[in-house]
Amino acid sequence: MKNLMEKVLNDVKKNHAEADLILNRSTSLKMSTQEASLSEYKVSSSQVLGLRLIKDGKVGLAYTESLDEDALKLMIKQALGNADTNHPNPNEKILNHSGEIRDEMTYEEQETPISLKVEKAISLETELKKREPRFLASTYNGYSEGEYTGIFMSTSGRSTFYSDKIYSIYTAALLGENGKKANYYDFDISHTYKDLLWEKVIAHSLDYSRQILKEQTLETGKYQIRFTEDALKNLMHVFSSLFSAKAAMDKVNPWAQKLGEVVMAKCLSIDDHADYKKAFRISKFDSEGVERKHLSLIEDGVLKSFYHNSLTSHFFKTQNTGHASRGPQGPLGLSETTMLIQGKDVKPLPPKYLEIFQLDGLHAGTNRITGDFSLPVKGFVWENAEKKMTFGNVTLGGNFFNMLKEVEVVGSELHASSDASFFSVPLIFNDLSIAGK
Amino acid sequence: MELLNKKIAQDIIFEGLSHGADFVDVFVERTENESLLFKNSKTEDKQSGTIFGIGIRLIHGHQALYGYTNINEREELLRITTLLGSRIGQKKSLSTTFNFERFDYPTVAAVADKNVSAVEKMAKMKKIDEILRKDVKTAQVILNFISKKQKIEVYDSEGLFASEDRPYIRLAHQIIMKDGAHESDAFYGPGARGGWEFIQDLPVQEICDGLIQRATTALYASPCPAGKMPVVIDNGFGGVIFHEACGHLLETTSVEKKASVFWDKMGEQIAHHALSAIDDGTLGGEWGSLSIDDEGMPTQRTTLIENGILKRFISDRIGEMKTGHKRTGSARRQSYKFAPASRMRNTFIDRGPHDLSSILASVDHGLYAKTMGGGSVDPGTGEFNFAVQEAYMIENGKIARAVKGATLIGSGADIMTKISMVGNDLKLMAGMCGSVSGSIPTTVGQPPIKVDEILVGGRA
Repeated sequence: MKNLMEKVLNDVKKNHAEADLILNRSTSLKMSTQEASLSEYKVSSSQVLGLRLIKDGKVGLAYTESLDEDALKLMIKQALGNADTNHPNPNEKILNHSGEIRDEMTYEEQETPISLKVEKAISLETELKKREPRFLASTYNGYSEGEYTGIFMSTSGRSTFYSDKIYSIYTAALLGENGKKANYYDFDISHTYKDLLWEKVIAHSLDYSRQILKEQTLETGKYQIRFTEDALKNLMHVFSSLFSAKAAMDKVNPWAQKLGEVVMAKCLSIDDHADYKKAFRISKFDSEGVERKHLSLIEDGVLKSFYHNSLTSHFFKTQNTGHASRGPQGPLGLSETTMLIQGKDVKPLPPKYLEIFQLDGLHAGTNRITGDFSLPVKGFVWENAEKKMTFGNVTLGGNFFNMLKEVEVVGSELHASSDASFFSVPLIFNDLSIAGK
Repeated sequence: MELLNKKIAQDIIFEGLSHGADFVDVFVERTENESLLFKNSKTEDKQSGTIFGIGIRLIHGHQALYGYTNINEREELLRITTLLGSRIGQKKSLSTTFNFERFDYPTVAAVADKNVSAVEKMAKMKKIDEILRKDVKTAQVILNFISKKQKIEVYDSEGLFASEDRPYIRLAHQIIMKDGAHESDAFYGPGARGGWEFIQDLPVQEICDGLIQRATTALYASPCPAGKMPVVIDNGFGGVIFHEACGHLLETTSVEKKASVFWDKMGEQIAHHALSAIDDGTLGGEWGSLSIDDEGMPTQRTTLIENGILKRFISDRIGEMKTGHKRTGSARRQSYKFAPASRMRNTFIDRGPHDLSSILASVDHGLYAKTMGGGSVDPGTGEFNFAVQEAYMIENGKIARAVKGATLIGSGADIMTKISMVGNDLKLMAGMCGSVSGSIPTTVGQPPIKVDEILVGGRA
């Protein structure tokens, strides 16, 4: 495959252009089950090759899923044509670096027969049914495994190789009682089959659905609120462009002019930690082949840096932080690795607070520009360290920017999201409203 | 010329049947994508690409086995088929043979295409950018043009061979406004089954005026009060409420799992008698239209609800097998990487007798949701949520102050019974719908409607 990629890059050079090339290949097996039998069984093998070339200061992108000679020639022609019509971009370059970095994970794995995997996938649903008389159906239920490789090569001589294997399981227990329904989805991911937490997924899905069946609404008003790590991760993710230098370039980052200013409570710091050992996956290089580094985004409430790639660092005349993100079918962008929210001045938990474990409608009920949000939520009412009630059929309203300033740290230990890509100390937010009865 | 050699398609199907499959189909796709991003008053990014792949489905009993690859070689395709077939049983010799017969069907019209250079496309976007930037409050304009030319072929073990060319075109407009500490944005994304003439004929000035007005209104709007109140939802993208709160629950994908609150309600009154709803794949030029679905069946106009009574579900082959509800030409998927599933096409609440002013006049105190944003639903519980992009309070039957940050939440089964007035001004709007078989173009729509009571989440 390297020969094929080298040939494409040589052809690009013959056209007096420079380029980088990404090849992603994957194979996967997915199965879903329904009513104690396999309802879908899916196998796949796929590949996609993406070219980013720069000619006369103009960027041209093209991709192909077919790797025959004609398709490769067409891809180069399309990329040259696109570059020709694009506006010159003095900030976007093919980085002038060379050498190879490899990021291959090897995991101890025993061969597991497919029949056992099918049996275990079916058990996700049958266990729910066995354990709970109010079980109606499992709306999502399944198992998947996939092997992924990514190769990056550039005309400057840089190359990277990445490979990984990911297993996942998921289920959702739909329960019903007296006309009321409750549905909770849970999942687990791992790098080996043996590490999948089947029991945890079944138990969580059931436990949360049972709690939701008992949900009651809340009085409209202001509350002190804690989010589970998954809920906080999802909310933070919606506003992740706040840390994007590209969004700042595009004038769609409300924090564009706030570097060096206090944007959060002074008791909080946020880091991007690419080689955090407890994360699901460490990351050695970004999509331009730049080696990853630890990045302080916010220190004691002060905005210290954005995520940068070669384009944004050139534009802002600052250091490249190694956060380039690009798939074969897309332009050069930015993405985080593992986010850590750390805190100081730890205070005790308030006697009464709400713990939100589910936020819905994040793609629609949030405004990334103004920070306003209004979202349906579910959670627990805690009083004196006791779970008093489950609540639902309410919305959580607030402003993200204000929310980050009205926060208290209530613990010093970092807790992980379910996918181990986000870690935070326990926090209590004070400036949020619930709309209920 | 066919994308896949017919003999290879025959071999794949024969291999699947030899393992004991009841039914086999092969879906072949080649899609030419083009996109153009116009931002910061210039072309930021122009991209092209080709998607090609083949999906193979074996059905055995109620079980679907699916595989895909973009390696168009007989050996690889047979390897995948054998891998799937081995889940059913050992390969046995078969004496049956069959030939494909080309299936002819009525073609749903598309807006005409036109060979337009990238320079002309950029000139169109530059014009829109200039109009939107005439307002001093405009901080950013983002225009995203996409063109997708999808060619599909379907072969199946009943001898069907069908193919369709599906052109899609869309121009998404986004404006961001700033005035001191106030910021707002507005979005409008018209799309069609068709080509460049759709973009060429868009009423640019009217669209720009609408975006500026909406963003300006949002800029100075006060927070929306929270609580239960009557809500009037205007036409067009307001139809997202029916799409999310009811449409998804009428797909056999949910019905077959008994995960829909409506799974056993056929023939029953599930909505207010004022409401009738349609899912129509045959509308010429509409974004969600198809001549044939992804199983090769001609699309149709399907009355889902008539005067509040549930008449039909949205069904595909697997859905029909599992629920007994006949196929409606609604098997759809994002690409060859997904097995088909029953999905909506152009789904809308049908016209009623009222005009908007009489609907507003019937409300003493409530919310007028003029432009809806997106939303989502849990098909199991029917619980939905929708954001409102542009909203006003209604006081004494009149539109009053603008408000922002409103979200509507409730359950599908409940809200359908509370739509008590339906207007006569039906409007459709393009959108993307994500579900089990990926993200597909769908149209939502409705005339203005009144919901007697809904929980509005705003600022307490």
